[in-house]
Amino acid sequence: MKIVVCIKQVPATGADKRYTDDFRLDRSGVEAIINPLDEYAIEQALRLVDSGGADTVTYLSMGPEQAAEALRRALAMGGDDAVLVTDSALAGADEWATAMVLAAALDKLAPDVALMGMASDDARGSLVPGAVAAKRGLPLLSYGAELTVADGAARIRRLSATGYDWIEAPLPVVATVTDQVGEPRYASLKGIMAAKRKQLETWSLADLGLDAAALRGAALTRVTASVPPEAKPPTERIENVAAAEAATRIADWLAARKLI
Amino acid sequence: MSTDILFLAEFAAGRPARSALELATGAAELAASAGGAAVGLAYGLGAADGAAALGAHGAGRVIVLGDQDRPAIAHVGAAVAAVRDAGALALLAPATPNGRDLAAALVGLLELPAFGPVRAARIVDGAVETEQATLQGSVITTSRPVDGASTPSVVLVLPNTFTPAEGGGGSAEVTTATDPGDSPFARVKVVESHEADARVANLDEATVIVAGGRGVGGEEGFGLLRDLAGVLGGAVGASRAAADAGWIAYQLQIGQTGKVVKPQLYIGAGISGAIQHKVGMQTAEHVIAINRDPDAPIGEFADLYVVGDLFQIVPALTAEIRRRKGG
Repeated sequence: MKIVVCIKQVPATGADKRYTDDFRLDRSGVEAIINPLDEYAIEQALRLVDSGGADTVTYLSMGPEQAAEALRRALAMGGDDAVLVTDSALAGADEWATAMVLAAALDKLAPDVALMGMASDDARGSLVPGAVAAKRGLPLLSYGAELTVADGAARIRRLSATGYDWIEAPLPVVATVTDQVGEPRYASLKGIMAAKRKQLETWSLADLGLDAAALRGAALTRVTASVPPEAKPPTERIENVAAAEAATRIADWLAARKLI
Repeated sequence: MSTDILFLAEFAAGRPARSALELATGAAELAASAGGAAVGLAYGLGAADGAAALGAHGAGRVIVLGDQDRPAIAHVGAAVAAVRDAGALALLAPATPNGRDLAAALVGLLELPAFGPVRAARIVDGAVETEQATLQGSVITTSRPVDGASTPSVVLVLPNTFTPAEGGGGSAEVTTATDPGDSPFARVKVVESHEADARVANLDEATVIVAGGRGVGGEEGFGLLRDLAGVLGGAVGASRAAADAGWIAYQLQIGQTGKVVKPQLYIGAGISGAIQHKVGMQTAEHVIAINRDPDAPIGEFADLYVVGDLFQIVPALTAEIRRRKGG
């Protein structure tokens, strides 16, 4: 049972982020991390190995050359090897192009479970996993609070409107997990040392048999403008008053805005 | 290509989700400026019987993808056929797990441009143009498909972006999609269902949300928030910390890994306002924070910041609103 965990390198949560003049993320001088929600996918994969449910874990990322750092960091948590797909033709890739590239790399790696985080910190569409599954013609098990694999099938526990369901599909599958799978482990010093010796391959679009022209400039969408959010009026404050007085003033505030 | 606008209409337990009504109206608004019609793709339990009524909210036509209680992704085969036939300009999808999965599969299979989740969408120069809060809310970007991109453009839409038109009275024309039946997604099956909380309010449908965090201290504290939500006709939500503590169901978690909400009024009590929570509610129209800490991060994006003890202020506010409403 082979798992490939797809991870993305993103700017650190809370870092001061800006766009370049052509509306791409300005990565200069911004600390880069593994997308925090991808760490839960890593943790889930390693737990499956720990419990004997999986044999190998490979990490896959698409990004600039420095995304290799994120893969090394993942390898320090555990797992066997990693692949970075990097190509100058992929700068500014949108969700569709990212999905096409990951799908091609996953075709080559042929895992039983391709595992991803439920969303990325820097783009909030959560569309890549479903698009990858569709492109590869595989079932999608999404938003798992837990993932199990047995008897040639994968199962996820997923929140429903009023409780939870177990959802199942035959292997191979594409799956995503949430932050309910358990807190990601820290890399030990031993893990960090071991990661340096693990194999990290770099693939180009040509290695995947993909033609840059077919990826249509890596994006079907373009940003045409970017502005700061509308300036809100300064925050009004109510403090140092008794609860009854605070309640009256909150109610006045609501009434002035026709909210009650 | 036509100038029609498609929308995903989710049904559950025999009735349309609030998002189905909002997107019917949103699709009708876009279609009106494009010169086409709003066409629904309905799925879930109740879709067949409820499809025609979406006409009252703006739908001209509704195609029923399936009427079973299955994961939305199971309807991809039928959706692909319907989207190909419709040749529409845009497809509006709710930014819910089911809406995203179905939209994502269409993006992957039909090579479509994808946007969102957006807070506004319109038709400009014959293509969809969207507005989205990005980089954790620090900028608002406007986006369009590149020239020559396939259609429809797929647009994930936040709740309450469109207000459902009521009383249109019209009935939508209803057809049933043919499911090719060979979709790998049809192999995804619900094998067990467990009811956890019998009554979990649907946050997507709430225009007023009273949310609690670590400062609420326990289940009893959430009782106070429920009372306040009750007099405001709203629903209770929570931060991840409160859900992790087991004080409230995960279905009510707001934030990056919970629901993304866009209520008219959001009241956060005992919530510090970490970035992970903020991204789930930053598009709320009015934000009130009640917190003992005068310097919590939520103060940076609240419209009204009340410094004090929520255990005293929340019940006092509930009583005051009840009094003003004459109750």
